[in-house]
Amino acid sequence: MADKLELQVITPSSLVINEEVDEVVAPGELGEFGVLPGHVAFITLLMPGELRYRKEGSERKLIVWGGVSEVRDDKVTVLTDNVEDPVDINTEAARREAEAILEELKNFSGNPKELKELNRRLKLAQVRAGVGVRE
Amino acid sequence: MPSLRQIRSKISSVKGTRRIMSAMKLISAVKLKRAQGLLQAFRPYSDSFEQIAKNLALRCDPERHPLLRRPEGRKKLHLIFMTSDRGLCGSFNSNLIRKIETFLAVDAKDYEQIGFRFVGRRGRDHFARRKIKTLEIRVENSYIGINERNFSNVSNEIASGLAKEFVQGESDEVVLVYNYFKSALSQVITFEKLLPIESEEKTGDSKPVDYLYEPNREDVLKFVLTKYVQVRLERAILESITSEHGARMTAMENATRNAEDVIKKLTLLFNKTRQAIITKELMDIVNGTESLRKGGME
Repeated sequence: MADKLELQVITPSSLVINEEVDEVVAPGELGEFGVLPGHVAFITLLMPGELRYRKEGSERKLIVWGGVSEVRDDKVTVLTDNVEDPVDINTEAARREAEAILEELKNFSGNPKELKELNRRLKLAQVRAGVGVRE
Repeated sequence: MPSLRQIRSKISSVKGTRRIMSAMKLISAVKLKRAQGLLQAFRPYSDSFEQIAKNLALRCDPERHPLLRRPEGRKKLHLIFMTSDRGLCGSFNSNLIRKIETFLAVDAKDYEQIGFRFVGRRGRDHFARRKIKTLEIRVENSYIGINERNFSNVSNEIASGLAKEFVQGESDEVVLVYNYFKSALSQVITFEKLLPIESEEKTGDSKPVDYLYEPNREDVLKFVLTKYVQVRLERAILESITSEHGARMTAMENATRNAEDVIKKLTLLFNKTRQAIITKELMDIVNGTESLRKGGME
């Protein structure tokens, strides 16, 4: 068994990360999950949230916009629409967006599909807004 | 022999053509660079999606999801035929059309029915002219004016239509026909099965270890397979767009070079003709004086 994980984070516009890491924590649909070397084959949907990975003692963070993740043979593949470095996020704008979506949700009258999309956007905006505070 | 003025006007017309060709080449080069950048960034994403979707297909019974359905017997085939909207790109479209005609001539009898969706004007026009009786070319199955900015929306639209038809049994197999971008000089015509999603890997007797699914197998399959069809289609369209720019750039470069050759030949002809005229005039003068001189001596 290898003692390292191969982490790949891929978006439609770039191969963001392709390196060997010690541990990955990702935002699954049913809550955060951690992956260490030797994990069973696993596939999960991702929520918008924080992806953390540890490499040689230092921890790094990324915001992923939801997607899917596969763990197989000590290889973690994260496929997502977009990623952001927490440092680059305008938290104030994200917070305002979250508020705007909340407002929209109050007067919501569309179909369930639109509601789901709106909820996803809300979650994303909240995640993006929240990061700056925690930093 | 053409007159000097005719040659001169011919030269200047070819020079004009050369200027247009080389401008088109430069434009294509810029577009190619842009499209190629997008394509190269997109390939790892779509490759990984494909890998995951096929891994899932390998591990799941085809009954688990309608996109994995494996129809029996004679099938209804649906082809997505990707050409360019405009010409002047060498053999880009004609090769594709030739390939698909061969395919139709040879393999069509194995299918119960063949349907088309056209991406790009050239393919649609070809089949509209050809008038296949069974083939009905409607507005909703041809997509024109697709470029590197709007292909994403278009492919989502096509993908959802395709998935719906496949699930409802209106088609049993969906195949993409497009030019795979190898380099600006070489594009490879590719036939690729999009649906049903199945893995090429041979499993033998034992199925590989199944995944752990979260939140559950149904949701994962639904998300991954639906998205995969979109992503795969997006990739193929992007390959085709990039190939088109590459093919056009190469074709225009050849055309520019040809124009230069023609200009060289015409210039040579011009000089020769001019020289011939001068020689002729000189001869006239010499002959004239000669005969005058002879006349004077007598």
